[in-house]
Amino acid sequence: MSLKQNVPMTARHMAATRRRFGLPYSAVLFTCFTLTDTAFAHEQQGVPGGLVSGFLHPLTGLDHLAAMVAVGLWGAQLGAPAIWILPITFPLVMAVGGVLGVLGIALPMPEVVIALSALVLGGAVAARLRLPFAIAAVVVGIFAIFHGHAHGTELPQSANPLAYGVGFVVATGLLHLCGITLGTLSRLPAGGRLIQGLGASIAALGCYFLVHSLTGSP
Amino acid sequence: MRQLLSRVGLIPAILLIAPHCADAHIVASRLGDFYAGALHPLTDLQDDVLWTALGLLAGSLGAAHGRWLVLVIPAGLLLGLSVGLSFGSTWIGPLANPGMMVLLGVLLALGLRINVVALCAVALVLALMRGIVNAEGVGAATDKVLFGAGLALCGYAVITLITALTLTFRKPDAQPSRTWRDIAIRACGSWIAAIGLMVGGFALAS
Repeated sequence: MSLKQNVPMTARHMAATRRRFGLPYSAVLFTCFTLTDTAFAHEQQGVPGGLVSGFLHPLTGLDHLAAMVAVGLWGAQLGAPAIWILPITFPLVMAVGGVLGVLGIALPMPEVVIALSALVLGGAVAARLRLPFAIAAVVVGIFAIFHGHAHGTELPQSANPLAYGVGFVVATGLLHLCGITLGTLSRLPAGGRLIQGLGASIAALGCYFLVHSLTGSP
Repeated sequence: MRQLLSRVGLIPAILLIAPHCADAHIVASRLGDFYAGALHPLTDLQDDVLWTALGLLAGSLGAAHGRWLVLVIPAGLLLGLSVGLSFGSTWIGPLANPGMMVLLGVLLALGLRINVVALCAVALVLALMRGIVNAEGVGAATDKVLFGAGLALCGYAVITLITALTLTFRKPDAQPSRTWRDIAIRACGSWIAAIGLMVGGFALAS
């Protein structure tokens, strides 16, 4: 290993700068010190911390993300009234589940049902399943309660509960919007097949999470 | 020559990489308490969410409804501030704000067309509540008149702007009654109600 590789990056850069521009070390160091900014030991505290953790919770959990997009896709496939009732009612039903989670009321096998939601909703999109609206609403509503419950259990640990709620509700709504927007591709000649393919991928993902949650493997 | 230019240009170039804001008017002097009053609600997420919800509701009901809030909100905020200064704000229960979020959110989500009196009553209760809570920002050395003026002006500006933006977004005269724009506003209402439910649940649990 050469001596050059052992020298830290900053020192190497300073040396290169000095050689190139003929500046003394002191001038480069002085310039660097004038550009210092405040160091934050805990950046994600309070409102920003709550917003970020709430917003990222549905996005970083692949099971949540897949199921939310599948809800939007299925709504777009079902058409009116599902496509406009869905984004209005889903957050409310999910919040009821969230309240149960906050209050510490346990639901049976939440991880299994969340995995099942991706499998069932993805399967419905893949098969272009056209259930009566009332039945579709009940199916989606049950899954919404379980997803909300999972988010709700995280809320008391967040830096700011209100900011966490704002973040997670907005992220969930945007995921639905993403699904609905993707669902409008079905108007294109090959769009219908593409969406069914997406549904099948979500169902496969749900299948994986279901096996994972049933076997309890890491 | 080229080497000289490089030497001279290096340090200003590095300094320009990290520009900072130049504060021409330091808010802590002269009208500082006015700015404190105006900024205090904007830095509280409860105010932000509730005022947005009320502005959306007023805008979704139309200009004839919304223009009454131009008077009701500043008056309610000032009244609430004076009540808060006299009696404190600890007696406002933890469920008041989440409850108001749920009420406004559900009204928006259902698309209910409430009349002007009901809208003004809801707006007055909200402004009173938030005026009382914002009184916590008044310290012993704070100029109460300037703080109140800032708070009232901020309430007026925010509600008027959100109402106007909602009215412009809806385009009520150019579209049929149920458009994606109306649905988007109703979905926002649903989100606000959901947030209120969650926060209310947390308040009950803690």
